[in-house]
Amino acid sequence: MNSGVMELAAPRVTPCGSAALLLDAEGPLALATQQRIWSLSDAVRGWDGVVDLQPGMNSLLVVINPLTADAEAMAARLLAAWSRAEPRHGTGRLLEVGVVYGGEGGGDLPAVAAHHGVEIDTIVAMHAAGEYVVFAPSVMPGFGYLFGLDPRLFTPRRPVPVMREAGGIVSIGGAQANLGGPRRSDRPTASPTGWHVIGRAPEVPEPFDLGRDPPNLLELGDRIRFRVERVIR
Amino acid sequence: MIEVLLTPPLNMVQDLGRTGFRCHGIARTGAMDRLALAAGNALLGNPPDAAGIEFQLFPVRLRFTRDTAIALTGADTMPRLDGRLMPPWWAVSVRAGQELVLSAPRRGMRGYLTVASGIDVPLVFGSRTTHLRAGFGGLDGRALAEGDRLPLGDAPAFTPRDPAGLGARPPGDVLPGGEAPDAGPGDVVLRVIPAAEYDQFDAASQALLWSQGWAVTSQSNRMGYRLQGAVPLRRTELVEMRSHGIVPGVIQVPPSGQSIIQLEDGNSAGGYPKIGAVIEADLWRIAQAAPGATLRFAPCDAAAARAAERAAAAYLGELRHLAGLGRRELGSAA
Repeated sequence: MNSGVMELAAPRVTPCGSAALLLDAEGPLALATQQRIWSLSDAVRGWDGVVDLQPGMNSLLVVINPLTADAEAMAARLLAAWSRAEPRHGTGRLLEVGVVYGGEGGGDLPAVAAHHGVEIDTIVAMHAAGEYVVFAPSVMPGFGYLFGLDPRLFTPRRPVPVMREAGGIVSIGGAQANLGGPRRSDRPTASPTGWHVIGRAPEVPEPFDLGRDPPNLLELGDRIRFRVERVIR
Repeated sequence: MIEVLLTPPLNMVQDLGRTGFRCHGIARTGAMDRLALAAGNALLGNPPDAAGIEFQLFPVRLRFTRDTAIALTGADTMPRLDGRLMPPWWAVSVRAGQELVLSAPRRGMRGYLTVASGIDVPLVFGSRTTHLRAGFGGLDGRALAEGDRLPLGDAPAFTPRDPAGLGARPPGDVLPGGEAPDAGPGDVVLRVIPAAEYDQFDAASQALLWSQGWAVTSQSNRMGYRLQGAVPLRRTELVEMRSHGIVPGVIQVPPSGQSIIQLEDGNSAGGYPKIGAVIEADLWRIAQAAPGATLRFAPCDAAAARAAERAAAAYLGELRHLAGLGRRELGSAA
């Protein structure tokens, strides 16, 4: 599973500069482990010196006050809390979105198929067969990082980021899948990414809207399914 | 109000940033030079997180519609108030109708305007800072444009005792920084704590991180600085990383071997290996390093980082104290 992805034998906490610690969990990416990450995040939120928390894929970023927090003591406390963390479950909501694979919007699809030495249709079928769980917040307010990509679709990220247009991006990066929110006039039209964009979801709903309460459409633990709308070869 | 009469793009309302909302992928996205913003607020007696304006491009022309007090910190933008040149790192009273002109700095990158009581745009998730990519915070989630009118907080209840204003010593003259043996004059030395993937780089690359100069390329902005070293860095283990939360200052090394420092508007998460991270107390030095500048990395640990943080806090505390003595409360006999 997840060949080529870093996997630790034991959990570890490393500094991320002077204002953050990163806990990396042991073992492969798995729902049970991630559910413990979410509960650890809840438990740590109230600690003195902790200013913010962000679950990652198999990891937890703990942002600390660099003036008042003792990073080394906090690291030890974090490891101890991890060993006791119990799983926390999501709400079980399911979102289904239609995807146009390939074409101008999914320009990296042929390269991904070539990388795996299979037909475009095979990539599309494997991608759309999965049920994806929102595992961690993404780089921006949005749907978050998704777990559930068929391990056979593992595709290394690009050596150098490229610019890709925003708007319903359906992409693969390493062992992960991602869905981007709709294009909006008040946001940049393109962003740099090391991921491979294989399609677009033209009717994707807004994942994060300040006018909504709560602003996020999905929570950690909620699920997404992709429906094949069309394949442009 | 402050009226924006002239501005290039990318000048924005910023404060010390948004914390507590990374659960939504919302990172800090605050002022690049946090120390300059905090110093401006200290000069004016504002709370440290009062919102000001970060200027990255010039020229800029502003008009004040009411009496207030302002401070200009960060890069020296040669501020002229009704044509009269102000010293750098300086606070003065302004009268309604006065115009302020800022010019491209000869040294440094980013200038900061703070105003008594702060810029009073709405709080979004506890902060007034502009989240440009997500389109919220600041003034309608966007950069300033000509014709904008920025609301101000309550009118100041003070004026500088000296009509010429009061100033601060720039932190670059006061705060000790890191030391790199090979640093040339003008090089920017940044203290760096090795991060999770440091050990995945071969010994030569680990040595190069500290020994070679890193040029700031033109692909450098609030999201991050792409650096160019003479020799690319190599990992011995080419394993794919999982996406994880990252903070401003993280030095990522994509497979190209050229490093990227993630900064305030950078992604809240990333997947490239992290060889190290610049300590929080040195982030302002990056903010003032322009494309073409050479960065040097100096190894640092948690204890030294905390000492640097304490030095910055002491600098701001002393500035706040001295500035308080240099202000006269309006309506008081003194």
